[in-house]
Formats: sequence, structure tokens, C-alpha cells
Amino acid sequence: MREVIAAIFIIIGLIVFLLSIFGIFRFKYVLNRIHAAALGDTLGLGAIVVGLMIMSVNFFAAAKFFLIILFFWLSGPIATHSIAKVEILTNKNYEERVREK
Amino acid sequence: MGEKKSFWKHLKAWVDGEEVILDADKYIVSRSVKEKKNWGGRYSMENIKGNKKLYGFLSVAISVLFIGIMLSVVNDLPEFGNPSNPANNEVMERYLESGIEETGAINFVAGMILDYRAFDTFGESNVLFLAVMCVVLLLKKDKNNYSEKEEAENWEDDYFDENEKRPILKVGGKLLAPLIILYGIYVILNGHLSPGGGFSGGTIIGAGLILYASAYGQKKMQTFFTFRTFTLICVACLLTYCACKSYSFFTGANHVGYEIPKGIPGNILSSGFILPLNICVGLIVACTMYGFYALFTKGDI
Repeated sequence: MREVIAAIFIIIGLIVFLLSIFGIFRFKYVLNRIHAAALGDTLGLGAIVVGLMIMSVNFFAAAKFFLIILFFWLSGPIATHSIAKVEILTNKNYEERVREK
Repeated sequence: MGEKKSFWKHLKAWVDGEEVILDADKYIVSRSVKEKKNWGGRYSMENIKGNKKLYGFLSVAISVLFIGIMLSVVNDLPEFGNPSNPANNEVMERYLESGIEETGAINFVAGMILDYRAFDTFGESNVLFLAVMCVVLLLKKDKNNYSEKEEAENWEDDYFDENEKRPILKVGGKLLAPLIILYGIYVILNGHLSPGGGFSGGTIIGAGLILYASAYGQKKMQTFFTFRTFTLICVACLLTYCACKSYSFFTGANHVGYEIPKGIPGNILSSGFILPLNICVGLIVACTMYGFYALFTKGDI
């Protein structure tokens, strides 16, 4: 039973990663692309690590996995936010570009 | 006599450092214009790209040629995991059998790169130092390579650093940078006990410093990390490394008359010189990583 639940979580994570990779290559504009990339970094990685937490042998292994989630959920959105902010501040044609699509 | 005179003329011109052509007027009239062959036009990129068929054929042919060479080499490689492979020789046996005894390190990789092959690692650290010195030489700003336009841009960057409010990045940097640096220190200090060591730990510390610098601006970074600190740390670490390895080299290179105690394998204070050497390499790598970042963004550490 435990393995089945863990497998479901890991497969969900892999599907999210696949979607995010498709998004990175299909979208054309920076803001769309970082949206897709951040999806994989937060939801995909979170789902996979939750699956591994369910599979882990003892409490301390699960706690280490939780630290991995904490680190990525702290650092990933901050990086995405900074990139988006730089794009908005430095792109002179930002208004046209956003209204276009 | 005429010939001799011209010889003296030539000699005099040669001593003066000029080259004279005697009877230059006649030479200029009589010389024919050399035909310039236009090799560049015939084999230029536009010409090749215009000829799409040839271009496609050539690219496919070259790729197929290289794939063929690679595959033929792979065919000749020894089988994976075969005990009679050339890699499985007496060197590996020696490492596995007496590695702990001779180096005192549980992590064999650390024992190898910092004890058996320590001079190789010394060279690598020197390469890193040399690379960052070349970047300093090319990119560090001073009076001669610094125009007013660049100064204005730099001033603008500083203005943004001071006045732009980046609450999310600042809180993130405040939370994450100390943890990252602490983890890097852990990786360096446990280099002889667990996977990791100077190079990987130094890179982690450098990443923490870069995160802090990008969150709080380079002005704040310069309160504790200036160019002077950078040079001092790099040079002191290289000299310490050199002194440690010279000691073991001049005492026979085979640990004869080598007075440094090995300690119990598994303790944090064990394995002779590996721990200080790891610390030296880690500090050099951390400084180099941050130095590259600072020089490429601002042109100053």
C-alpha cells in the first residue's frame, strides 16, 4: 500500500516536470517560460520528494527530505521573482509585449 | 664601385633601422600589380550557406564520419567490469588495501587527491588562482580602462542597489545565505570522512556569498570582503598548502620520518594533513567563485 501511494506521488511529480519542460520550450516570452520552469521546481519537486518521504525508512530520513522541500520552496520562488522583476524593470517594450499576448 | 656604394647604402639603412629600395622610382613604375585571389569570397560563410544542398550534405557527412569514429573506438574498449581491465591493476589494490592505514582518511577520494596525488591538486588550485588573476588583469577597473559612460552605468547600478526595495530577495538572502555557508563549511571539514571536500564545499560557500551579494549589493559585501582580503586569503592558502606538501615531500615523500600523527580513522581530527589541505583548497575555491561573480558584474571585488 505504501509503495502504491508513493508511486502515485512520484508519477504526479514526473508528469508535472514533463509539462514544465514542454512549457519551457513551447512558450516564447520570458515571463511565460519562467512560469513553466517554476512549476517544475516547486510542485514537481515537492510531489516527488513527498513520495520519497512516504518510502523512507525512518523519521530522520523523512525529516531530511522535508528540509530539501523547505530549501527548494524558499529558494526557487525567490529566484523566479527576481528574474521576473529584472525583466519588467529592464524591458523597454514591456507594455506592448504583454498586451500583445 | 657602384655595387659597393649601394652595398654601403644598404648597410647604412639597415643600421639606421630603415629599409630602402634603391632606385625606388624605377621599381614603382616597372612593378606589376599582383593579382589578388579572392579565397575569402569563394569559401565565405554566406556562399556556403547559400548553397544549401552542399551545406546540408557536408554537415550530415561530417557528423556521420565522427559518429563512425566514436563507434569504432567504443567497439575496441574493454568490457565494463572485467577484472582483467587495464584500470584494475596493482594501484587500485594498493589504494583499497592500505589506503586507510597510509592516509588515515575514510573517504578514499580525499585520501587520493590530497595525499597520494597532492601535487596534482596543488596544480589545480594554482590554475584557479591563475584564472582569477587573469580575470583581474582584464576586467578590474582602473584609470586606464574606465570610461565616463561605464562610470555612469556603475553609478546607476549602485543607486539601484541602495534605493530599490527588494524585500523578498533580502529576507530570502538573510535566511538562506548563512545556512548555505554553514553547509559548505560542514562539507569542507568532513572532507576526509564523507563525500565532499575542498572543491565542492568551496563552491557551496561561493554560492552563499554570491546570494548575499546579489541581495544586499556589493557595497555591503565590501565591508568584510575587499580585494585585499581576497588576495591575502588566496596567497596565504596557497603558501600553506605548498609548505605542508613540501614538508611531506622533503621528508621522503613516502611518509618516512613523517611526524604528523594520523589519529584514529573516523575522528574529525585525523588523517594528518588532509584536513588543513581541504580547508586551504576550500577557501581558495570560495574566493575564486565570488571573485569571478564580482569582477564580471562590477569590475571590482
